Amino acid sequence: MEAIWDPLRITLQVTVLGTAILGVAGLALGVLLARVRFPGRTLLEVLILLPLVLPPSVVGYFLLVGLGRGGPVREWLGVDLLFTWVAAALASAVVGLPLMVQAVRAAVAGVNPSLEDAARTLGSSEREVFWRVTLPLAKRGVLAGLVLGGARAMGEFGATLMVAGSIPGRTQTLPLAIYDAVLVQDYSLANQMVLIMTSLAFLGLWWVRRQEEPRRSPRDGPPGRPPGAPREEPA
Amino acid sequence: MRPASDGAGPLSLQVEVVRGSFRLRVALASEVGVLALVGPSGAGKSTLLQAIAGLVTPREGEIRVGERVLFRRGAEGPAVNLPARERRAGYVFQDYALFPHLSALENVAYALGRGEGARRRAREEMERLGIEELADRRPDQLSGGQQQRVAIARALASEPRFLLLDEPFGALDPETRRKVRGEVRRILREARLPVVFVTHDREEALALADRVAVLDRGELLEEGEPLAVLGHPTRERVARLVGVENLFRLEVVESRPTEGITLCRHGELPFELPLLAAAPGEEVRVGVRAGDVLLAVGEPGRLSARNVLPGEVVAVRSHGGHLEVEVDCGGLFLRAHITRAARNELGIVPGVRVRAVLKSASCVVLAG
Repeated sequence: MEAIWDPLRITLQVTVLGTAILGVAGLALGVLLARVRFPGRTLLEVLILLPLVLPPSVVGYFLLVGLGRGGPVREWLGVDLLFTWVAAALASAVVGLPLMVQAVRAAVAGVNPSLEDAARTLGSSEREVFWRVTLPLAKRGVLAGLVLGGARAMGEFGATLMVAGSIPGRTQTLPLAIYDAVLVQDYSLANQMVLIMTSLAFLGLWWVRRQEEPRRSPRDGPPGRPPGAPREEPA
Repeated sequence: MRPASDGAGPLSLQVEVVRGSFRLRVALASEVGVLALVGPSGAGKSTLLQAIAGLVTPREGEIRVGERVLFRRGAEGPAVNLPARERRAGYVFQDYALFPHLSALENVAYALGRGEGARRRAREEMERLGIEELADRRPDQLSGGQQQRVAIARALASEPRFLLLDEPFGALDPETRRKVRGEVRRILREARLPVVFVTHDREEALALADRVAVLDRGELLEEGEPLAVLGHPTRERVARLVGVENLFRLEVVESRPTEGITLCRHGELPFELPLLAAAPGEEVRVGVRAGDVLLAVGEPGRLSARNVLPGEVVAVRSHGGHLEVEVDCGGLFLRAHITRAARNELGIVPGVRVRAVLKSASCVVLAG
């Protein structure tokens, strides 16, 4: 049981911290891209999307440079995160971020701007407009992005290996432990861990699909809303 | 809570708004009462409302409510640009913009903060408008007319200093429109605030407004009493915009100042108009509302109307509640509105010989 418990605990730690980071950053970046026009917008968008298409080893390499000797985190903040579970969380956040940003941007862009204008004329500050109108209306899309990004973060393998290694009991997450188990031909252990990973991913995707399914209410609009399109009705 | 005494009074503005290649230049004042902004789509009516509410920033000008300056740039005095949330506009959006994730009551309570007090105040506002039974419904469970009422309640609950309504009846079917018009009229009067509402419907403007301003392509063409502006516009562009049915040109023959008339002609047809400052041979444009054209079958006898034009009916069309008859008066095509009863009694069908009767005073000479 020890052999599963340690990687599962580390996986949960990494997933929770990674999802928190990508959640906050993804919300801010998604709203920025959906609502603000600024020079360099496309550049920022491409940079955020890069981890989707780059090999994990390349993403890992960039993080290694950023976190390692001479990198800003060590030089300016004075902390060495390499080969800790926090580095694994960072790596998984970077890889999950594009999914979150894409979902938030689409959800926020789908909120009718005249609702936000209405809130402004009713005395709301920009912050209130966001928390009382924009976010509640974009809720489904934001949650879906969070679950997808979180699931992607949980399954992170390559970049994590580069910056956190695969130290049993310290940085070895389930995906890494599965790889090790297969290497030493411990298929019984591998099977159990694969079952856990698959179940979690399955449940996450199931939940997202359920959220995107239009709910029928008596006065609902026409069916056939494209997947991922935000609904303005409450969840 | 915001103080209730600040910045009450008439709304006055003079702004220039530039959006891409579109330019809006308007100067207006709205006393306590209802001002209708009339014009075709693209005239800049909604843009003007947004500028007043602080949702669009004018390039320059000044907007004030009483002594309170909402916006000032390039005008005398310090520059001001209050954000929308501080302008205290009661804004009713074209599609009502009710928050779909909140109940009707929560929509009305939005500006009042949270808590029981806010809900009670919102409920009172809804009772005042007679819509308290809608309190727990979501916007998607409300009809268009109900949404409109909730949107007005939401705007009024925020204790605005003025009301802005963007096509308040635009999202309603014609029948509902007529039904709710009287009710909205009552609500607007009782609010005792300056009201600016946008419409492209003449009837609506006549029914609701104390004053009318006609806007076209970002320009204020005419402003004044609804009946004067919409019924007898004095400029050709306005006449076209508000749908004056008969527009034609006349050639001046001679003026008779002692009789107070000017004789004109359209081809061979003689016309008698009120005295004009125009020289013989000059051309004038004239507008006549179809409702001011009488039709007579046979010799009409002695009339005070000075223009009796023989002609032939070429078409009879249904036009709202009445009929529009097109008469060919020797090459001048005139349109007249008559009732179905009149049509039946006079037997007006295409081909019938009639006389079109026009009072001189209803022939309005138009400026360019």
